[in-house]
Amino acid sequence: MVLTNTRTLVLIIPHWRVIAAGATHDHLAAVVKKDRVVDVTPAGAEHGITPGTRRREAQKLCADLKIIEDDEERSIRKFNSVVASLESVTPRIEIATGGWCSFPTRGPSRYFGGDQALARIVAERTLKALSAVLKTTEVPSVMQPRIGVADSRFAAVLAATFTSLSRVQVVVPEGSATFLAPFPVDVLASKYSPLLEAKELVDVFRRLGLKTLEDIGALPSEELLARFGSPGLLAQQLAQGIDGRAPLLHSISDVVLEESEIDPPADHVETAVFVAKALADRIHRHLAINGSACVRILIEVESEHGEVSSRLWRHEHQFTSADITDRVRWQLEGWYQSENPPTGPLSSVRLTVDETVPDSGQQLGFWGEKTVNDERAIRSFVRIQGLLGPDSVTVVQRGGGRRLTDIEQRVPLAGTRFDPDQVITLPESTAAPWPGRLPAPLPIAVLPQAQQVEVTDGNGRRIGVSGRGQIEEDPVRIRSDSLGSHLIIGWGGPWLLDEKWWDPATKSRQARFQFLLADGTSHLCVIENGKWWLEASYE
Amino acid sequence: MQNASSGISLINDIHQESSPLVLARHRTFPVVDELAGLFTDGGIRQGSTTEITGVAALSLASALTIAVSRSGSWVGAVGLPMLGSSAASDLGIEFSRWVFIDHPRDQVGAVIHALMAGVDLILVGPDIKLPPDHGRKIVALMRERGTSILTVGKATLCNLRPDLCLRVSQATWTGIGWGHGHLLSRKVEIELVGRGANSNLRRELVWLPDKEGRLKTVDQSNEPANLLQSAPRMQKVLPEIGEQVLQAS
Repeated sequence: MVLTNTRTLVLIIPHWRVIAAGATHDHLAAVVKKDRVVDVTPAGAEHGITPGTRRREAQKLCADLKIIEDDEERSIRKFNSVVASLESVTPRIEIATGGWCSFPTRGPSRYFGGDQALARIVAERTLKALSAVLKTTEVPSVMQPRIGVADSRFAAVLAATFTSLSRVQVVVPEGSATFLAPFPVDVLASKYSPLLEAKELVDVFRRLGLKTLEDIGALPSEELLARFGSPGLLAQQLAQGIDGRAPLLHSISDVVLEESEIDPPADHVETAVFVAKALADRIHRHLAINGSACVRILIEVESEHGEVSSRLWRHEHQFTSADITDRVRWQLEGWYQSENPPTGPLSSVRLTVDETVPDSGQQLGFWGEKTVNDERAIRSFVRIQGLLGPDSVTVVQRGGGRRLTDIEQRVPLAGTRFDPDQVITLPESTAAPWPGRLPAPLPIAVLPQAQQVEVTDGNGRRIGVSGRGQIEEDPVRIRSDSLGSHLIIGWGGPWLLDEKWWDPATKSRQARFQFLLADGTSHLCVIENGKWWLEASYE
Repeated sequence: MQNASSGISLINDIHQESSPLVLARHRTFPVVDELAGLFTDGGIRQGSTTEITGVAALSLASALTIAVSRSGSWVGAVGLPMLGSSAASDLGIEFSRWVFIDHPRDQVGAVIHALMAGVDLILVGPDIKLPPDHGRKIVALMRERGTSILTVGKATLCNLRPDLCLRVSQATWTGIGWGHGHLLSRKVEIELVGRGANSNLRRELVWLPDKEGRLKTVDQSNEPANLLQSAPRMQKVLPEIGEQVLQAS
């Protein structure tokens, strides 16, 4: 798998949640989510309140503290107005959450004359937009936007968070690993890390004496993978300045796009969101089938007057359909409250999956992958296994034996160490080493389960066989529910089969016959204990 | 056949796809010589649906995959739990790149959709039914990817529109009599009805299977010229028929 890195600019506005909640730096305010402080103004922080502090404890520390309930929608909606100021810089802004966005620098950097110049322009414009939000010309330095540029997203995030006084930090190209090296492993578990629930992992790293990202980067990757699985490997890639999960190689036809008209056009955000939810569900199902997950999505909403709101959204892990629906709501709320709101009702919604990663639940590694063709094929089989279960895809493996079901064997694909170039040896059907085997050619349609049939003579009486397998009367008619009633125009047999005669428990005496019917079909039937069974057909 | 196989792997190459110099007739899946005469293009056109009906439909559908299965391409069989691999490999099929999805349940559309991303030829069993809207989507995707579908039984039953229809119009077994002998070889006459360049009726006479279980062209110089033409729809059932060749329509 080729890991491709995109040089990225990350913009972070510190204390965004309190800013979005309407507080300024000198307010005594904290934003609380589920009984815990998630953000606090610098003035509040002076009282010892930090993110993670319990609500009651925070109130104890500062009696005048204003507690504001967290509202992600509000946070993103307000952030939209800040991001709008950057849309003339690049169309590819990805919003991760309120106060945090990023974009690839390649195009805009060339246009504005380098990463430094680009970062300065972004800083200026964001600051201007931010002062509009805060309604002040003097944005306090602790709330000023921070910008980091680096070869990987994770490195850019750290560059932005740990900036110097200038609040802009550009890591030189190829320098990300060196830049990351001295950071403590704890950053892997920070809220900006793509590693999910990494606290335990980081604890183990520390107990093993791995203190910095450099230590993690220097370990043999096989050992990390063996000990910690894919999170271990991802941690190492992050530490080395590689954006861990590579986008899936996809062809044009793999682009997942769902769109829908809103009919009749709606003035309510919720109506559009409702339409988008169905689309999001479809996308999610589609991706699940393909064993992939969406990490970046383009949401476009059009009004009846042709105005379009278009925005890219990124998720650090993967979007669920509810996540996508939320983004649609946030984007629309922001649009209505922006300087250029839609003048007509909303008429269509389009969702385009912009970037996918393999759903980490699926692994192909243990298969003997050979050619590009095989790899593609195997990937599609994995999708089917995801749909129908691991036993649903089978391949041929033949064993010996005299019953047709012994000869015909399908084994689940996943259960075999699959190697398409390995020649599967099939026994020569004509070289029957034992009596009782069927004469060649063999029937091509072998019923997975034999069907009971009725075989009668010219007088409509059921036909049995003698102890030696000899038929008592000539068979004239065969009948069953699925087959119907047919005249027999030719027959052969019996071929006797005393299976496992040495074992009384499984001993079974069977005699086989071939019947050629008037409708041109020909079948293989077996009689056992006086009952006839249709076993196979020569279709 | 080697050239054909490299052609298949190229189908995914955008240059090949978009180049106006590649004629449609070059984009075919190979078919063994015994059956190639049925196809104006010399093989199964990529992105096409072929319907196979008649008494020996399953054998014929399998026989059409022989060359593809030997060329390194993948074949997927959906809803064909009954396909006997012993008989099929006697016919000449190579099973190393062949997968079965016996019971797609209510996910037929999704399964075929997923399969199209990985295999070149898809065999669809007689009990498979696509939701009508899926049928259209899949046809569009087949054209794009060049995947071809062979249906065992009427294509319209599974909501696909066939580009070619192959029908086994006559099937005659040798070797079996009344109470003696056994099914030895079957001579079949295959008729092709198609659209466009294939609209002329074509016929092919083959052993399917011959007495070794293989596919073989009928050597018509040694045959009574009017054997098949004069075949009655059904011969009266008489125990005295003995080892004579039995006719079946």
